[in-house]
Amino acid sequence: MPEKKSSLGRIEVSLAAIASIAQQAVLSCYGVVGTSDKSLASGIVGALSKEHKRGIDVHIKDGQIFIDVYVIIEYGTRIVAVAQSVMNVVKFSVERALGVPVAEVNVHVEGLRVSSVD
Amino acid sequence: MIIESNIPATYREARLIADGQVFKQLIKAALAWLQRHQVAINALNVYPVPDGDTGTNMVLTMQSAWAEIQDSPERNVGRIARQMAHGALMGARGNSGVILSQIWRGFARSLDEKEVYRAKDLAAACQEGVATAYRGVVKPVEGTILTVARAVADEAARVAGETEDLVYILERMVLAAREAVKMTPTLLPVLAQAGVVDAGGQGLAIILEGMLRYMHGEPVTQDLELTGAVDLVTTGLAPGEAGYGYDVQFLIAGQGLDVDAIRERIAAMGECPLVVGEPTLVKVHVHVLDPGIPISYGASLGSLREVVVEDMQAQYRDFIAGREGPAVVQPPPSPPREPGIVAVVMGDGLAHVFQSLGAGAIVYGGQTMNPSTQELLEAIESLPSRQVIVLPNNGNVILAAQQASALSSKRVAVVPSRSIPQGIAALLALNAQADLDMNVAVMSEAIKQVRTGEITTATRSVTINGVTVSSGELIGLCDDELKVSGASVEEVARKLLREMDASQKEIITLYYGEGVSDEEARALAELIAQEWPDQEVEVVAGGQPHYPYILSVE
Repeated sequence: MPEKKSSLGRIEVSLAAIASIAQQAVLSCYGVVGTSDKSLASGIVGALSKEHKRGIDVHIKDGQIFIDVYVIIEYGTRIVAVAQSVMNVVKFSVERALGVPVAEVNVHVEGLRVSSVD
Repeated sequence: MIIESNIPATYREARLIADGQVFKQLIKAALAWLQRHQVAINALNVYPVPDGDTGTNMVLTMQSAWAEIQDSPERNVGRIARQMAHGALMGARGNSGVILSQIWRGFARSLDEKEVYRAKDLAAACQEGVATAYRGVVKPVEGTILTVARAVADEAARVAGETEDLVYILERMVLAAREAVKMTPTLLPVLAQAGVVDAGGQGLAIILEGMLRYMHGEPVTQDLELTGAVDLVTTGLAPGEAGYGYDVQFLIAGQGLDVDAIRERIAAMGECPLVVGEPTLVKVHVHVLDPGIPISYGASLGSLREVVVEDMQAQYRDFIAGREGPAVVQPPPSPPREPGIVAVVMGDGLAHVFQSLGAGAIVYGGQTMNPSTQELLEAIESLPSRQVIVLPNNGNVILAAQQASALSSKRVAVVPSRSIPQGIAALLALNAQADLDMNVAVMSEAIKQVRTGEITTATRSVTINGVTVSSGELIGLCDDELKVSGASVEEVARKLLREMDASQKEIITLYYGEGVSDEEARALAELIAQEWPDQEVEVVAGGQPHYPYILSVE
């Protein structure tokens, strides 16, 4: 977990807390209609972790934050534009909250929601 | 409930239907108007990222939408709307771009295969557009483009129940959009903190405004506006007060004039068009707000004869004064010019230039360009406008201008122009239909495009920037920095223009001051035009003291 040393002690932020920030950011993005708690890639083991249930995976590697986001996007929007927006918003929100740089935000579009009208 | 409006209530025929080609022109106009304001909208962004540059994103989205239909002869409005929406989807950029594409998607879906749309169809399409947009987000945030879109759709639905006139409905939609944009800071605290309105919402309002300008026959493109303004400097005509405008008549003498085509164009410019004639001589008559527009158009077709321009408001006043009998409905009182402009200048010629461009009050800076805060404050208060923009036109004056604006009870903004040419560029960028913040943003951008040169005499010997100057020598400054020196005005002028990269710009303007005769100035202009044949060279009598020449390149 990212740590910040202050003169009084250490500040540790858990992966779950980071995932929370990211999730709020993702849900506020236009075009995202949900996060997916299913990830085809990681199978059963991944599905058991609580963060993953939210549709967000956070890893720390070499002191840098890597975030994977699993989303459902509204059909009829430009997916690339929505995904880019998600990347920007998540990176911005997490960096602003923690003051620690985010190395990667990977957006996995798990599905499209087709509204009844189309 | 919107009561006041600055949209003139002039008589015109109602427009009841719109087909595919009309819709196509509306999109074209919306795009052009949006492009004009792209930079200003970008300036409203609150976050460094999330939406990035809203103005640019919305322009790119609309460009893609336009590209899809620009060559289409399709008259079926439902089909062309669908094509356009598809283009918007393909080119959507950023949050606002995606939302915009969703609005168009719903709008087009509602129109379906309709040949034309009427009032009720328009209202339904707007509602569907908004509904589609809201579906694309889990927690819609109020105080954004979504809010503005909803306000517009609600107003369209309300008004469509009262009238069939599409232009009137669009006018009300534009007013609703502007109101909703103004309200966004009350809904989203971060906007209030930054002191701006929502960028996406503003972009949507601009799109609707562009469409309305097309319906009113007003220009939306950059060059058209600039041409009109340059005419203003030489002929001294100012746009008429909103409400009545000018009665314009002229004859066009030429070859192969297409009377029908001319009639169509003139009809789009204003009211009561009358165009008659034959291929060699056409008589045109029309009532417009800006006489420059029909006159420039006529001049592009042939030579003009018997040009008559009359102020209809003056005509009406005379008519009222001479008439006896029952009271006649009073014309709407013309609103004070908003925002009012205070400009600081030196020299009568320059004062005249600024006044002809619309400056309401002039403060003379004197030899040293150093008016007091008190003088600036008096100028601000002297204007009838509630909102005022101050153009200091000199680095020294900016601080005093800011102090004056803080002291005034009116809403005052200072656009930090550092020179006369910057001030002029800023004034040309002013848009009477935009609000104060938008104008400040646009004007501030405009001053960045201008480079200012000044030629004067050195008052002491000094070496700066590698240039050595003795007292009494002629020097050239570029953007307030000493760059060149020389023995003659011609030498300094040419060196200075080279420093200013004049060959990369389009227009070189010479403002000649006290002690320089008209012939001398024109001779210098000739010399400059020879060395820079690709640039336009203009000469203006500035009458400024202290600086024989002020140059601007843009």
